[in-house]
Amino acid sequence: MFAIDPLLESVDGSAVLIVLLKVVVAFAALMIAVMAMVWFERKVVARMQNRLGPNVAGPFGILQTLADGVKLFFKEDLLPREADRPVFRLAPYLSLVPAFLVFVVVPLGGDFSNDRHGVVSWFGKETLVQVADPHIGILFVLAMSSMAVYGVMLAGWSSGSKYPLLGSVRAAAQMISYEAALGLSLLAVLLNSGSLSTNEIVSGQSGWNWNLWATGVVPFIVFFIAATAELNRPPFDLVEAEQELVGGFHTEYSSLRFALFFLAEFMNTITMSAVIVTLFLGGPNGPSFGPGWLQAILPTVWFLAKLLVFLFVFVWLRGTLPRLRYDQLMDLGWKLLIPLALGWFLLLAAFKIGQDEGWNRAVVGVVGTVVILLGALLISMAVGTARARRAAVEVEA
Amino acid sequence: MSSASDFLREYLTVLILGGVGAALVGLLLGASHLLRPARRQPGKSLTYESGVDPVGTGWTQSQIRYYVFALLFVMFDVEAVFIFPWATRLEAYGGFGLVEMGIFVFILLLGLVYAWRKGVLKWV
Amino acid sequence: MFATLLQATGAGDKLVTPEVPWSHLAPQLILVVGATVGVIAAAALRGRLRRSVGAVGAAVVAGAAIVSIIPLWHRVSNPAQGPISAVNGAIGVDRFSLFVTALLCAAVILASFTAEAYLQREGLDGPEFSLLLLLAAAGGSVMAGANDLIVMFIGIEVLSLAVYVLAAMHARRISSQESGLKYFLLGGFASAFLLYGIALTYGATGTTSLLRVQSFLAERVLTDDGLLLGGLALMLVGFAFKVGAVPFHMWTPDVYQGAPSPVTGFMAAAVKTAAFAGMLRVFVVGFASYADLWRPVVGALAIASLVVGAVMSVVQTNVKRMLAYSSIAHAGFVLLGVDAASAEGTAASLFYLAAYTAMALGTFAVVTVVGGSGDGAHTLDAYRGLGRRRPGLALAMSLFLLAQAGTPVTIGFLAKLGVIRAAIDADQWALAIVAMLTAVISTFMYLRIVVAMYFAESESESDDRGELRIPWGVGVTIGVAVIATLVLGVVPGPLEHLSDDALPVLVAVDGR
Repeated sequence: MFAIDPLLESVDGSAVLIVLLKVVVAFAALMIAVMAMVWFERKVVARMQNRLGPNVAGPFGILQTLADGVKLFFKEDLLPREADRPVFRLAPYLSLVPAFLVFVVVPLGGDFSNDRHGVVSWFGKETLVQVADPHIGILFVLAMSSMAVYGVMLAGWSSGSKYPLLGSVRAAAQMISYEAALGLSLLAVLLNSGSLSTNEIVSGQSGWNWNLWATGVVPFIVFFIAATAELNRPPFDLVEAEQELVGGFHTEYSSLRFALFFLAEFMNTITMSAVIVTLFLGGPNGPSFGPGWLQAILPTVWFLAKLLVFLFVFVWLRGTLPRLRYDQLMDLGWKLLIPLALGWFLLLAAFKIGQDEGWNRAVVGVVGTVVILLGALLISMAVGTARARRAAVEVEA
Repeated sequence: MSSASDFLREYLTVLILGGVGAALVGLLLGASHLLRPARRQPGKSLTYESGVDPVGTGWTQSQIRYYVFALLFVMFDVEAVFIFPWATRLEAYGGFGLVEMGIFVFILLLGLVYAWRKGVLKWV
Repeated sequence: MFATLLQATGAGDKLVTPEVPWSHLAPQLILVVGATVGVIAAAALRGRLRRSVGAVGAAVVAGAAIVSIIPLWHRVSNPAQGPISAVNGAIGVDRFSLFVTALLCAAVILASFTAEAYLQREGLDGPEFSLLLLLAAAGGSVMAGANDLIVMFIGIEVLSLAVYVLAAMHARRISSQESGLKYFLLGGFASAFLLYGIALTYGATGTTSLLRVQSFLAERVLTDDGLLLGGLALMLVGFAFKVGAVPFHMWTPDVYQGAPSPVTGFMAAAVKTAAFAGMLRVFVVGFASYADLWRPVVGALAIASLVVGAVMSVVQTNVKRMLAYSSIAHAGFVLLGVDAASAEGTAASLFYLAAYTAMALGTFAVVTVVGGSGDGAHTLDAYRGLGRRRPGLALAMSLFLLAQAGTPVTIGFLAKLGVIRAAIDADQWALAIVAMLTAVISTFMYLRIVVAMYFAESESESDDRGELRIPWGVGVTIGVAVIATLVLGVVPGPLEHLSDDALPVLVAVDGR
């Protein structure tokens, strides 16, 4: 099974061509998207703050990112004397490559209505408008977003400097805390789709049967908050809180290496938005009309439109919300999101099985709600007494 | 064409993209290395500490609480890994699976409540 | 290309889910539920419980588990019904597993009473101590009943994890931390060995179910059994580590010395019992057809344990270390019973384990008292003149030590007699002779402690250790252990009947 021969046999030119084409196109698209995203963010935030934003390089300043990139490209690269050199050099790769790879499993287009599973025909070969569709696409997304923690952690640790170390330890703790919430809120999606493959998940959402409402909104909210924290974006940007940590884990990085971290961050924002669209908003699903050529590109248009909404929301959050304190961050993750995701997931599972086994829906709903309320009551009682006692201790002291 | 190689081919594509990504990063870094100036001075390679000379080494001890959160994370991540396969084949296991998974999740939630009550989750 | 993917993921056919006969698993369930409920209650009512609540609660739960065993025992003894196989053949309920479970529960009761006094004296927190004892017993009980190697592994992990924490429970004492860490690291190693052995066995036989392993090996002769032998060897290493048999005994003295004294008693009694239960079931029953191959190895382990345990214990000056080496020697004696690979051998092993449970818990209860505040006074000097200061305590200690040495009229004599008889019945004369010789050497060590207690002048007569308090919890443990050691030594009939009946069997799942 693991011999190389069957893997490559019966591979003809067009198959290779398609794979290469997909890789190159995905790559180019992602890079351009990142450039545009940086410009978009700066422009939108500037407008929200009543500024103009970049407006010199190119029309509307759209080439600003390119200009910044070129500048950083020619800057001197500094390696701190205290740094662990191999690891210091490795960290940007570990940050950027997983960011690329998440994009692999996102379906970017294709017709998913009427059980067509997004299959399109290119060069006489049936294929999907996504780079690859592994069985365990969702687990792959989780794995890659965990890999990103390595990049951050190793970058901070190998710098041999205090601020980066503090920033990276904070980052690691934050990312793993919300990673748990991320994974648990995903479970609700899996209940609906019954598969880990992203293609299957999108197929299951065809015909406006989006997971957003099919799972009852709560998992979506949990996932969105957890994703924001996972991305270290405001209001969860404690990792690089300038006022406290100078720049966080990348304080000691300069020149192109710094640019790579920057790139990875924006790339992660885009891919995570794409994952949210895939999981909860039906991916490329949408109304189809018009002539054949329009029908062929409409799914991609819908996908991009949904993506843009999320990108805007991320920027909006940055423009609006102040940063959380670290204890608030941990409280939100562990004491609210994780129990909520788990409880909601169990309720959904009970409903699904109740439907399957023909139990009375109302009874399932009532029993499930009672159980969850009871759990919430227990937790709040446990915490409540603790808080009361702490207050009492403070009064005594 | 066996399904096993189909299965593996998907990962081959992923591997190719990963390789291309790593190669691109390497290429950029290499090109930049050739083009950018390199004027070494001792001051430049000092670590940054708000503008003054660094005190002590950069590797300091960090709070033990981070470690506790790491342990809790492992617990919940492993839990999620166990739930994933069940969630994808929910109907196949029926009510029995629901009860079993309910017990499993309940015990883990008890663990979270216990940690909570013991003040582990409180960040000071 | 996609059809295969859809096929693999889309099918919605029902799986056959196993029946779980909850009532047959009552002892294990009582232990686990009691422990989890207790942990949550402890967390919720933090600081508002008296310390003794934990010990009493654990004793009540363990007692309830013992009570729930009685109807099961009758049911299983009934020839019309016989042993039960539960959860699709994963766990068997037979008299062997019930006997071991009862033994573990008894150990929990006695150890938690000792622990109550210990926690009080050391000012340690909470009921977690007793609850971890319950969890450990639950794990051991699962091991004793496991009809599947994976379930066996889960049992051993539950048991071990609880005991790792227990060993490090006295967090302020550096030696307790060291003990916990050492046990954890080396124990993790041993678990890995065991798991790898299970994996190799699975590779060789295609199943982890002991029943199917047994029938697989009975039906055919493997031409190339390297994989299976590797698996057997690795599993043997794992079990030998858990029971503390030489040459996998290195952790024993350090861990026994550093762990809180009540925990040391529990480790000597319960962990050993559970590990031997697993060993008996896997080797004597599951791999019965390979007995010719593993018996020499077990015999060698037995001889090494007997000799090293006896000789090394003589040169120690710390009583806890002496008792640690003596527990290695005791493991050697039980290995005699395992080596016999017969019904008599198994019964003798169980009897020995029951006897050792009583003796070890009693001994370590005394050690807990003598250790004094801080749990540090464990040198032989601390025992000098104990006969004058606390005559009752010294008398009980002497009884336990003499029983461990194998003096007639105590249960220790009958236990040693049983395993040696089993060895002789199995034509293992060499083993039997070595066992008798090392018993004599060990006696010297036990007598050293007795002599110190009665015939040596205490150098520090005037210091404040002169008055040792005996809290009620320890009093109960010592009292029960004394009664068990003496009464069962004179009238061994009931226990012998039980251990003779308690033979491990593997039961087929009905209808499959």
